Amino acid sequence: MPVGIEPQDLELAPGHNYGTVTDKISDIVLKEGTGKWWKAGFAVAIALLIVFHYGVVLLMTYGVGVWGVNIPVAWGFAITNFVWWIGIGHAGTLISAFLLLMRQRWRTSINRFAEAMTIFAVACAGMFPLLHLGRPWLFYWLFPYPDTMGTWPQFRSPLVWDVFAVSTYLTVSILFWYLGLIPDFGTMRDKAKSRAVKIVYGILSWGWRGSAIHWERYEMAGLLLAGISTPLVVSVHTVVSFDFTIAIVPGWHSTIFPPYFVAGAIYSGFAMVLTLAIPLRRWYHLEDFVTLKHLDNMAKLMLATGMIVTYAYVMETFMAFYSGNPYDRYMMLNRFFGPYAAVFWTLIGCNLIAPQALWFRRVRRSPWLLFVDALIIQTGMWLERFVIIVLSLHRDYLPSAWGMYYPTKVDWEVFLGTIGLFLTLFYLFVRLLPMISMSELRHLVHKTQAEEVKA
Amino acid sequence: MNGNGSGQPNLDRVGRLALGVGVAALILCALEWRANPTQFFRSYLLGYMLWLAVALGSFGIVMLHHQVNGKWGYLLRRPLEAAAQTVWTLMVWLFIPFFFGLPRLYSWAQPATVAGEALPPFKSAYLSVPFWVGRTIGYFAAWVIFIYLLNRWSWRQDEQGDDDRRWLGKMKKLSAAGLVLYGFTVTFAVVDWIMSLEPQFFSTIYGMIYIVLPALAAMALATIVVRLLARYDPVSNVITPLDFNDFGNLLLVFVMLWAYLSFDQFLIIWAGNLQDEIPWYTSRAAGGWGAVALVLVLFHFAVPFVLLLSRDVKRRMTALSAVAALLLVMTWVDLFWLIVPAFHPAVPSLHWMDIVAPIGIGGLWVWRFTSQLKQRPFLPLHDPRFEGVYGHGE
Repeated sequence: MPVGIEPQDLELAPGHNYGTVTDKISDIVLKEGTGKWWKAGFAVAIALLIVFHYGVVLLMTYGVGVWGVNIPVAWGFAITNFVWWIGIGHAGTLISAFLLLMRQRWRTSINRFAEAMTIFAVACAGMFPLLHLGRPWLFYWLFPYPDTMGTWPQFRSPLVWDVFAVSTYLTVSILFWYLGLIPDFGTMRDKAKSRAVKIVYGILSWGWRGSAIHWERYEMAGLLLAGISTPLVVSVHTVVSFDFTIAIVPGWHSTIFPPYFVAGAIYSGFAMVLTLAIPLRRWYHLEDFVTLKHLDNMAKLMLATGMIVTYAYVMETFMAFYSGNPYDRYMMLNRFFGPYAAVFWTLIGCNLIAPQALWFRRVRRSPWLLFVDALIIQTGMWLERFVIIVLSLHRDYLPSAWGMYYPTKVDWEVFLGTIGLFLTLFYLFVRLLPMISMSELRHLVHKTQAEEVKA
Repeated sequence: MNGNGSGQPNLDRVGRLALGVGVAALILCALEWRANPTQFFRSYLLGYMLWLAVALGSFGIVMLHHQVNGKWGYLLRRPLEAAAQTVWTLMVWLFIPFFFGLPRLYSWAQPATVAGEALPPFKSAYLSVPFWVGRTIGYFAAWVIFIYLLNRWSWRQDEQGDDDRRWLGKMKKLSAAGLVLYGFTVTFAVVDWIMSLEPQFFSTIYGMIYIVLPALAAMALATIVVRLLARYDPVSNVITPLDFNDFGNLLLVFVMLWAYLSFDQFLIIWAGNLQDEIPWYTSRAAGGWGAVALVLVLFHFAVPFVLLLSRDVKRRMTALSAVAALLLVMTWVDLFWLIVPAFHPAVPSLHWMDIVAPIGIGGLWVWRFTSQLKQRPFLPLHDPRFEGVYGHGE
């Protein structure tokens, strides 16, 4: 732990004790009820969710042909959205698991909603491969189980690895999130006034009494889950990158993809955490808990991962020319000057130029500037996946097999619809569960008080 | 800790001994230069890359520490700074012989008639001798400026009063930019110096592997150095088994990163099986070279990985130093496996100079390193991040 923390570097505003932090967080759920911001936001979310259902119904009725996908671009929006959403989840896992192992205290007040974000993002991500199957009700064919058909999944296909990677990720993320919630459910149960609410939180808390042995086991289980989750931060997006690299399509078959995808995932994930954290701290007056220090740190991580992504772009471009391979070179020239050049250059603007603002402390510490930058970066990361998928497929080795991809109305409906799904889940989370870990905040109060006494 | 606290390490004696060994080894190699110049340059490249990796990796870790803080960096900083300094006090000068041996190492530096098939236009322009020399000068210029400034400011910090954050702020800012610079310069340098030994081969992750490899080597060396310094004042007063635990975790992170990046490259090229890329692995992953690769899998990853998971190993200074020493040796094996198949694709070929040249350069390197290390206190004096640590114990 660095000694000598400056006043503006506090992770928790001064003057809080165990009672104030608990009241502040639990009151949002138990007392304050639904505010106007919540209602307005939830209405928008539900509207988008209806759009999602509409799109999915069309898709089920007519088949994936209602999307713009065809040969040669058989992976259009669906896989773009899948990779985008699953990438967003990674920041939550990084915050909750990796930063825990690194003993980074600033994770305390953001880990809960970042983990929630992870789970909801993975849920949205999961929609796309399922829907893209065409017959999603047969999804279980992806699992290896002895069946009367005598068929097995193709284990040499990274798409099957994805099934394992993503389902493991979702399972561990839910477990980790739920485990962290247990002491807080206990608190909610004890603070709730209505009997029904008490019973619900009571069941969810699994009889948590806060005894020493409970805490000991809780800490140990948390540490173990953190140990299990940390490799998942890397493995899931590595496997996602294999979906592309294992193929020999120019623009996909590039060895830097695994670390580049992982960095890109964390990059977009922190952008999403900021997109959620900045309005939340404002609407619910959580500036004492989610301080400028948190925003600053997340912005720095975004800058660092953004620079890794930049590095990957430079390497891809350089090697496309250095390799002397005419297909790789053409792939790059097609990105620069081809029919989708505008998309490519927008991506460069969003992902390479916009984050450079984060070198300045003033930007990192102005919430709304940061909010705008985070939105730009998320757009950029979505475009990046679009560029990788569509621009590589639409013109590969054989010019006679070239073609264009244009998204249809249903493509947009399903994509925007998952944003609705995500927001709906998130609004419900904010309304029904403590969005910041009360037990960990109390721990932080204890630590900061101890430091004050020492000083 | 358990040190007797009295006396100081005799760095002069170590330095003189290293210098003697180094000069003797290099004289042996120089004698062989007359008879076998091609082999001399190949072995010299191997030895040079090993010690440059340690020096550059130290530079990288110092900058990383300035970004993320942490007591581990406070303990490691002086050895790392002294190691990084060798880039301009030694490694720049030791690079000069290469300029006399380019055609012996690189097929692209030979006249077109000798080299056989011509390179594609971009590559033949990129790998032209004047451009290559220009880039090399550029890399060293950038490294020298950054390393010089970081060392200078670090020493200024020793002289300043307490609670002065000025020099720290400067170092932090320079390090942020320096890490970006480090990534790009190391990448392009290894593309020029090592990847271009096989001008057909290319891989986008290649540079990233070489960003991690030096960090691993430098961390291993610094761990050993701190273990030796831990017997004396002032390190002995400050260091605890927990600090070694941190060193061990860093080593573990670098080992895992190295394995992850190396495996990614292998899996993707193996699965693609394209004629541009696969020859690089058909020579390195089969036959005798395959056995070397297996040694790397076992001793550059599996064994250190398992050992470094254990808290017992990490908290025992001697055990951890033994793992670090293994990793240093494996860095040599790794570079041997990366470089030498370019010359002997069919079967491994170990020339005596492949061992003597690294020892020779290493001798000079240790001599420079010790003389730089002793110029300053072994711990930074007025680092505002660690004012509470020094002098009070833990």
